[in-house]
Amino acid sequence: MHRLKKLSLPYLIWMIVLVVAPSILILILSFSDLDIYNLGSFKFSLEHVRELNRPEIIVAVKNSIRLSFYATLACFVIGYPVAYYLANMKSKNKTLLVTLLIVPVWSNMILRIIAWEKLFYPKSILNDVFNLSLDLIGKDIAIIIGMVSLYLPFMVLPIYSVLEKMDKSLIEASKDLGANGFVTFKRVILPLSMSGVVSGTIMTLLPAMTAFALPERLSRGKTLLLGNIIEEYFVSSNKMNLGSLISIMLMGVIVIMFVAILKFDKEGETLI
Amino acid sequence: MINNKKAYFNKVIMVLKKVLPPFITIFAFLLIYFPIMVITLLSFNDSKKDYTFRGFSLRWYREILLDDDLFLAIFNTLTIAILSTIIATIVGTITAIGINSLTKNNRIKMMILNNVPVINPDIVTGISIMLVLGLFPISFGMKTMLLAHVFFSIPFVVLTVLPKLKELDPNLFDAALDLGCTRFKAIRKVIIPSIKTGIIGGALIAFTMSIDDFVISYFTTGPAFQNVSIYIYTSLGRKSFSPAVYSYNTLVVFVTIFTLLIINKFNKKQKV
Repeated sequence: MHRLKKLSLPYLIWMIVLVVAPSILILILSFSDLDIYNLGSFKFSLEHVRELNRPEIIVAVKNSIRLSFYATLACFVIGYPVAYYLANMKSKNKTLLVTLLIVPVWSNMILRIIAWEKLFYPKSILNDVFNLSLDLIGKDIAIIIGMVSLYLPFMVLPIYSVLEKMDKSLIEASKDLGANGFVTFKRVILPLSMSGVVSGTIMTLLPAMTAFALPERLSRGKTLLLGNIIEEYFVSSNKMNLGSLISIMLMGVIVIMFVAILKFDKEGETLI
Repeated sequence: MINNKKAYFNKVIMVLKKVLPPFITIFAFLLIYFPIMVITLLSFNDSKKDYTFRGFSLRWYREILLDDDLFLAIFNTLTIAILSTIIATIVGTITAIGINSLTKNNRIKMMILNNVPVINPDIVTGISIMLVLGLFPISFGMKTMLLAHVFFSIPFVVLTVLPKLKELDPNLFDAALDLGCTRFKAIRKVIIPSIKTGIIGGALIAFTMSIDDFVISYFTTGPAFQNVSIYIYTSLGRKSFSPAVYSYNTLVVFVTIFTLLIINKFNKKQKV
């Protein structure tokens, strides 16, 4: 079998070009005056670090943390019981139900955001169908509902796959030894499903934190998240260096989460 | 009296335990499927104004064929999805075979690198590829978008194929070689058939990720090449949004659900 290890070499080079190289480039851009369109010599500078106190960045950081925290918490509170219920189900249609959780991903994400947007305006088809009028555009709750609806499957699936593989006799053993349902859950089931919870949290938290089409549509461009700021700095206003610095900070958060995953799951197999 | 109260309390908990999980599961499915139901309803709406339902009509389904821009965007989306799935599945499978035969330490290092694009938020992956490709004298368009889709699909193929490879007896490959197979033939005749389900699963995930992608495509394409997500996003900005995209999306979702139901039926029959 060891004769096959050369097969992973091209991928290593490919990943160095497309993962390691851009990370270094982003790092250089963050702490220097390098102009990406005009590559040449560059000087180390902390100018962009000082620019971080721009009001729009501070607001975006606060918005990102607040909204992604609530959305992830809601996903966990709803998602764990769902994963538990599906994993312990004895119906023949179990696999079908789990697959149905993934189907919406086939439906266009932007379009699902637009569907929520249409409902959150006071004048919507809800008036015709349920005689109901919502006015949520621009409010936090609109963005949180949108996020939960979009990212909930990413919380349920990793927890489900861990609970599904879990040895059920451990639960019986815990009950035989006198633990009640709550203690069994706290001492046995939850710790054993922790790797699923960690990857589910990461798979929900990161997209929620960096979403940019979602807050733009559901707040009519009023609530900015980190994703909106990065997009603006890279695409509209030519502030790539500052945009890079914000990305570097995000990567820092990712590295911390990465370490969390590795602690629970050596080769990252619960990710999918 | 106290005993009565306790018994009553216990009974309430028992009932809650039975009723709550299925109730939350139904709620979760509603939350995930609600936007899709709205999109389906709007796709049959006999009005261009999507805040009011005027009556049942199929005009937006006809419009898919008549709207040249939308038709082209659908064609582009499918082309990219099919090509990137084929390339990523082949490369990912070969890479997984290579990674599987590495020593444990190197394998973990490779998997960390492999998981970077999985965990990275799309926006960071998008700007990373944009920055690297910007260093080369190529114009952004179909080729760059295809490269980006291959890039973010391969890690998912590796993650689905690798567990299947681990279940495989490593001696099988050596036995095939001893019996006179060439290395290529041993891979094709021994390894590939035993990891078939992993390869199919990986291909499905790759296709799903590609057909729905917005953020990474947005950063890696040029003005001349749009997929459906980018088409929808820019048409919102230009206020030229056509409800025909609702019809396209409804078709995709129902074809998917229909296919899944058939697979489910087929699997059940096979088991009997």
